[in-house]
Amino acid sequence: MLKELLVEIKNSNYISKSNIAIKLNKPVELIEDGFQQLIRMGYISEEDNLNSCNSYCGSCPYAKTCNKMPVKTMKITEKGEKLLAN
Amino acid sequence: MNTIALVGNPNSGKTTLFNALTGANQHVGNWPGVTVEKKEGQFEFNKKIYNVVDLPGTYSLGAFSEDEIVARDFILKGNPDVVINVVDATNIERNLYLTTQLLEMGAKVIVALNMIDEAEERDIKFDIKTLSQKLGTPVVPTIASKNKGIEDLVKNAISLMDKDVDYKAHISYGENIDSEMERIKGYLVNKDLEYPANWIAIKLLEGDQYVNQVIANNEDLKSSNEFKKVLQEIQDSVNNYDLEIVDKRYEFINNITKKTVFRPSEIVETKTDKIDKILTHKYLGLPIFALIMLIVFQLTFAIGEDVLGEAAASGIEALGGIIENYLISVNSPDWLISFIADGLIGGVGAVVEFIPLIVVLYMLMGILEDSGYMARAAYVMDNIMRALGLQGKTFISMIVGFGCNVPGVMATRTLDNRKDRMIATLINPFMSCGAKLPIYLVFIAAFFPEHGGLVLFSIYFLGILIALLMGKIFSETLFKGESSYFIMELPPYRKPTLRNVLRNMWDNVSGFLKRAGTTIFAVVTILWILARLPLGVEPYSQGSVLGIIGSFIAPIFKPAGFGNWQAAVGLFAGIAAKEAVVATLGMVYAGVEGGVELVNTIQSVFTPLTAVSFMVMTLLYTPCAATIATIKKETNSSKWALFTAVYTFFIAWVMAVLVFQIGSLLGFS
Repeated sequence: MLKELLVEIKNSNYISKSNIAIKLNKPVELIEDGFQQLIRMGYISEEDNLNSCNSYCGSCPYAKTCNKMPVKTMKITEKGEKLLAN
Repeated sequence: MNTIALVGNPNSGKTTLFNALTGANQHVGNWPGVTVEKKEGQFEFNKKIYNVVDLPGTYSLGAFSEDEIVARDFILKGNPDVVINVVDATNIERNLYLTTQLLEMGAKVIVALNMIDEAEERDIKFDIKTLSQKLGTPVVPTIASKNKGIEDLVKNAISLMDKDVDYKAHISYGENIDSEMERIKGYLVNKDLEYPANWIAIKLLEGDQYVNQVIANNEDLKSSNEFKKVLQEIQDSVNNYDLEIVDKRYEFINNITKKTVFRPSEIVETKTDKIDKILTHKYLGLPIFALIMLIVFQLTFAIGEDVLGEAAASGIEALGGIIENYLISVNSPDWLISFIADGLIGGVGAVVEFIPLIVVLYMLMGILEDSGYMARAAYVMDNIMRALGLQGKTFISMIVGFGCNVPGVMATRTLDNRKDRMIATLINPFMSCGAKLPIYLVFIAAFFPEHGGLVLFSIYFLGILIALLMGKIFSETLFKGESSYFIMELPPYRKPTLRNVLRNMWDNVSGFLKRAGTTIFAVVTILWILARLPLGVEPYSQGSVLGIIGSFIAPIFKPAGFGNWQAAVGLFAGIAAKEAVVATLGMVYAGVEGGVELVNTIQSVFTPLTAVSFMVMTLLYTPCAATIATIKKETNSSKWALFTAVYTFFIAWVMAVLVFQIGSLLGFS
């Protein structure tokens, strides 16, 4: 399942876990678990886009609105790319 | 006293079961050496006391977190007499992953198939007898929240304690891994080990760093060069043992659940996926995004200006009048009256007057954000960025820049390589930050009140266009190289909540007000003083220091159509803070009392064409001091900070001149 999932991630334009669940005919929860497993093992990495602004925000009047953009991004790591290439 | 360990995924109802078993007879502490909470309690059954340990909720028993290590160490070293694995019946496939790991450990496991009522409500059915047989362990349905099945669970757990059963997961990891496991186990025989040999073999093949360390420190194995060689071979192997092992566990689960768990229907396409087929469509996505933004801007003007704007203007004007009258009535000195009326109310008031528009705009943007649409906007733009050879993720920092360029520049930190980071940093100032809004609003109110939404939309659009263009130029000149690739996860759509929308709006508006009350105040005060120096000069005249500075700069802007000293001073003040542009214009145009009069004055000084030219200039020119300082900090280079300040000014000037000159040639005025 995990390699299939990695292939789906590679081929997707964007990640929709429910879409992948349909394609792989697995419950969404299991797909979510699969993502976590791939992250744990270092095949993909999840990037934190929300905490990039962590300095001297205290005095900034816009601190509360800083980096609220709710976008999560992922990347296939070198290890993941190697696996896909095999 | 016999000990029962409770283990399960978070939200599986484990703690509810713990409470149901132990009642008030429990205490909380910490696991030694870590900050993980340890919950322990007792219960009595058939006149015998049993100890229950509630282990941290975890999805796996690796070494990924302290919770996992605590849970697996207790199972392996704490010698519980039985382990109750609480499994969420509504999500059994995922929960059984932990069960397989417990079985791999050789623990005496009993499965509490919890929340069975919720599973029944969803029409999920189980063949519990077969499930139990296939897992090789008892399975007891429970509803911990209703105290159902608990007695049966306890009876089964207690009877299991006395049984001498060799629990082992009957999982085959494939010929390759199975033989590697046997090879490793061969070296572990008769060694003094903390953990079972079978489990160690799996973990070593999985690349578990914690177990690797334990083995490396084992006295019996330290001296075995042959074993070290085996471990090295595993580490260097091109086989992805870790992935294969996890996959085999899932296969094991799948083989069991497909015969024992019956769901009502196949997984269907969600509403989110259906909507996304349209909103993120390859060709329709961008026009839809543009249309949505246009509607947002139109609504901003329709509600913010037409409904609320007049009330705010009258309010500021009335307040100005009251304060001025009061100061006169108490015989305040002229300079104080001038400072308050011309400086503060004329300057800060001119900015504050546009608060209703800002409130409406941020409320509408809050609705888009809370609904999950803004992530789609980023995705739609991502496609275009990639087509231009830019890192799509840059658009995330650009969207942040729409609020304020300082966090926008900081958001570029999440980009992987220097090329992407530098480009994202250098183009961020073209994103029209919230502080520039009052500038556009004043000029729109003066010249384009009927088409406010469209003009505002065009300005934002131009900012994005120039940013993309410059990004493309930079990627082919200054910063060549490959962009890293990433994939965006789109969250499901949800109904925006009033609370979130209001909070988002308030965070933005309060930030804006704080700036108005601090930075703008400071800038206005300095300019007010400069407008009165040298002593005896006519205030706000061309002969004042302010007028001299403005007159010195003004010729630069003549080709752009607004070569007057007031406009020049406004732009100059904007380098301190963009909100100061309107505040300065409010002051220098004869200490106007409130925005309505500022609008009237601007109508007499600018023309529609020079107004557009001025707006283009303010959109693109040198970012504020805070943004320049942030660029210096983020790039660790004064050179790049200076470069940004200069090149953005140049681009802005060229664009403003082009707008004015081409517009004039086409007969616009």
